[in-house]
Amino acid sequence: MMPAGSATWLWDKLNVFATVFLGIFVEAVPYLLLGTFASGLVEVFIDRDGMSRWVSHRPAAAAISGAFMGMIFPVCECGVVPLTRRLFKKGLPLSAGISFLLAAPVLNPIVILSTASAFGWGQMLLWRFVVSLIIAVVVGLVFSVQGEPDEVLLPVLSGGDHDHVHAGAGDSIGGKIRKALLITVDEFFDMGRYLIIGSLLAAGLQTFIAQSTLLSIGSGPVLSVLVMLLLAVLLSICSTVDSFVALGFTGAFSFGSVLSFLVFGPMVDIKSTIMYLQVFKRRAVAYIILIPFMISLIAGLVFNYFVK
Amino acid sequence: MKPRLTIDSLAIGLILFLAAIAGFVIWVGESAGVSVRVDLPEDGLVGPYHAITFKFSEVVSAEMASELIALDPIHEGYLQTVDDTSVRFVPLQPFDPEITYTVKVIAGETNIKGREVKKPQSWEFRIREPRVAYMVTAGGQSGIWSADRTGRGAKRLTSEEIKVVSFDVAQGGDFIVFTSVNQNGGIDLWRVSREGGDESLLLDCGLDRCTTPVIAPGDTRIAYSREAAGPTPDLPFGSPRIWVVDIESGADGPVYEDQSILGYNPSWSPDGNRLASFDGLADFIHMIDFTSGELVLFPSTTGGPVAWSPDSTRLLYTTFEQTDNGGRTLVMLADLSTGETIPLFGSVDVYDNAYYSLAWSALEERLVLGLRMEVDSPSRVLWVLDPSLLEGIVVAQDPDYTYNSPQWDPWGGALLFQQFKMRGQFKPEIGLWREGTNQATVLAEGILPQWLP
Repeated sequence: MMPAGSATWLWDKLNVFATVFLGIFVEAVPYLLLGTFASGLVEVFIDRDGMSRWVSHRPAAAAISGAFMGMIFPVCECGVVPLTRRLFKKGLPLSAGISFLLAAPVLNPIVILSTASAFGWGQMLLWRFVVSLIIAVVVGLVFSVQGEPDEVLLPVLSGGDHDHVHAGAGDSIGGKIRKALLITVDEFFDMGRYLIIGSLLAAGLQTFIAQSTLLSIGSGPVLSVLVMLLLAVLLSICSTVDSFVALGFTGAFSFGSVLSFLVFGPMVDIKSTIMYLQVFKRRAVAYIILIPFMISLIAGLVFNYFVK
Repeated sequence: MKPRLTIDSLAIGLILFLAAIAGFVIWVGESAGVSVRVDLPEDGLVGPYHAITFKFSEVVSAEMASELIALDPIHEGYLQTVDDTSVRFVPLQPFDPEITYTVKVIAGETNIKGREVKKPQSWEFRIREPRVAYMVTAGGQSGIWSADRTGRGAKRLTSEEIKVVSFDVAQGGDFIVFTSVNQNGGIDLWRVSREGGDESLLLDCGLDRCTTPVIAPGDTRIAYSREAAGPTPDLPFGSPRIWVVDIESGADGPVYEDQSILGYNPSWSPDGNRLASFDGLADFIHMIDFTSGELVLFPSTTGGPVAWSPDSTRLLYTTFEQTDNGGRTLVMLADLSTGETIPLFGSVDVYDNAYYSLAWSALEERLVLGLRMEVDSPSRVLWVLDPSLLEGIVVAQDPDYTYNSPQWDPWGGALLFQQFKMRGQFKPEIGLWREGTNQATVLAEGILPQWLP
């Protein structure tokens, strides 16, 4: 029989776990729905020829244009994964897709406005935008050397369209929208389970690794950045609202540390990593995580040490 | 054959390269050590009570950081912790206007983790020429103006749309807090910089009237009188109570939980630890010590702002008492260290001198008070004296005028005051007396003069 103290402790932890899980999941679901809906619309309304015409196939141009596609598709990190998967299917170059995947959660009008309302139209907004853009373009360029997308994408993507819903050229607008909605539902449930797994993991880690413990060790120019990078992964907050959470850290953490949180969090967190693993091969996911991590770390360090 | 670049080699190479850059940044950053910034303006000119804030680039131990800070020449003051990375030097006495000061931060450890300031740094500052702030009322308008010590260079600080009711100047001289009527009929607290033209609402009092703001030394807290609005617009405002608002945190609330304690004319001690105010209903001056929470009462029927000694250990106030010779206004001296209160003037006066307008300068041996020189005359004079010797000189005594609201400059060498001509056209003027001169001069037309250091 379990001692009463242990049972209370477990019950408290379970309560925290459930609250955190619901917090992350409920916050992310609408954005996943938006992303899958955008994915459905892309599937139905954009064909491969159109995609080829709109996006440059030169690596640098593709990476830069991909980074700014978030201005057209304002999705956060939960919705960007299914949309990117769909865009890859439509022939989006790898470099553009990777740039879009990493940049769209920050370089979109909603996140720009939410960052501005938290920090004002100043340095934080500027540098969040600039560093995110640099990371997205650099990672996009790295992936541009990959001639065969099959080498980094999971087979379900590179092997052609396996969806059972197809839009015919002669369909009416109403018919196309109905098909887009069917795709939305399919993809929502497909990616949704990974969102649940990711949210469960994030909630578990947040329950058993106290935020206060991390914050207490987070002093110093290096440790503070590392702690904020870890927090960004652990908290798994949607990029549309993370600025307001980051604002709470500004008293205790330096500008550079908070900046690294705001740059890295939208690109990599637990739930988005689980979702990346459904689209990319493992080593590609490793690059998508490690390169942004290193650049975010360097940005935080540079601000902590040299920009006062 | 040229080897083909693969994503793996490129990505791994890039990650290693970035790791090397991160290592290099850490190495260079660690070599540079902890850096320090000091909040001094580019021209190095500050107010005489300017609190110097040292902002370190990392979390520091206030105790260890204070070991690294020095001021040349040495000046009396104390270090205050602002936050994890900042400490502030608060001067207890005004800086000398004749001296160029050097702030130094020497090399040494800033926290127990061994982080160090590696490069000694220094900054210089001097004290700017103080100006004079005053109110001008004309044609239904009232605004705050400032002029230099000769009365020249007068300029309006508040815009014409804002009607100023009262104001107070921060000890550091960097800003002014004033009151203005709002659209609801309440009175709000506003703030404007010493340069003017940038008024901003400091405290929205809604339907309540917030009046007589007095900024505490250190310039972070403001005491004011607050009269709560009646339940309906046709009912009168409530009695005034003393509130304090913290500018940095925004915390705002009444000083006394006991709602029966009323108060106006708040007055901070020079060290900012005590606050005195007058309760006209109970006929007491209440003095609260914020460090100990102790409340001391001084019986007074006349009220008026109290005058604090420069070291904050004594205070002067007036009261009216019946003596064997009749009713007399007394000037009382309360010693807070001994708890003793004695009459300084008035108890043996032949007639009632109607003492008022007390102000103790930064110099221990110099205070000013207003009094009636002739029993039948409405005219008042200003008397500058040494409180220990009870000797002094009358600095303003034109029988056609009456004088009040004396304000010492931060060094106790010059005195601003209000003068009204009692015959002919009503014309309030600002007068100035300087040490070493016999005659006061008129600076400007206006009311409620205060130094803008």
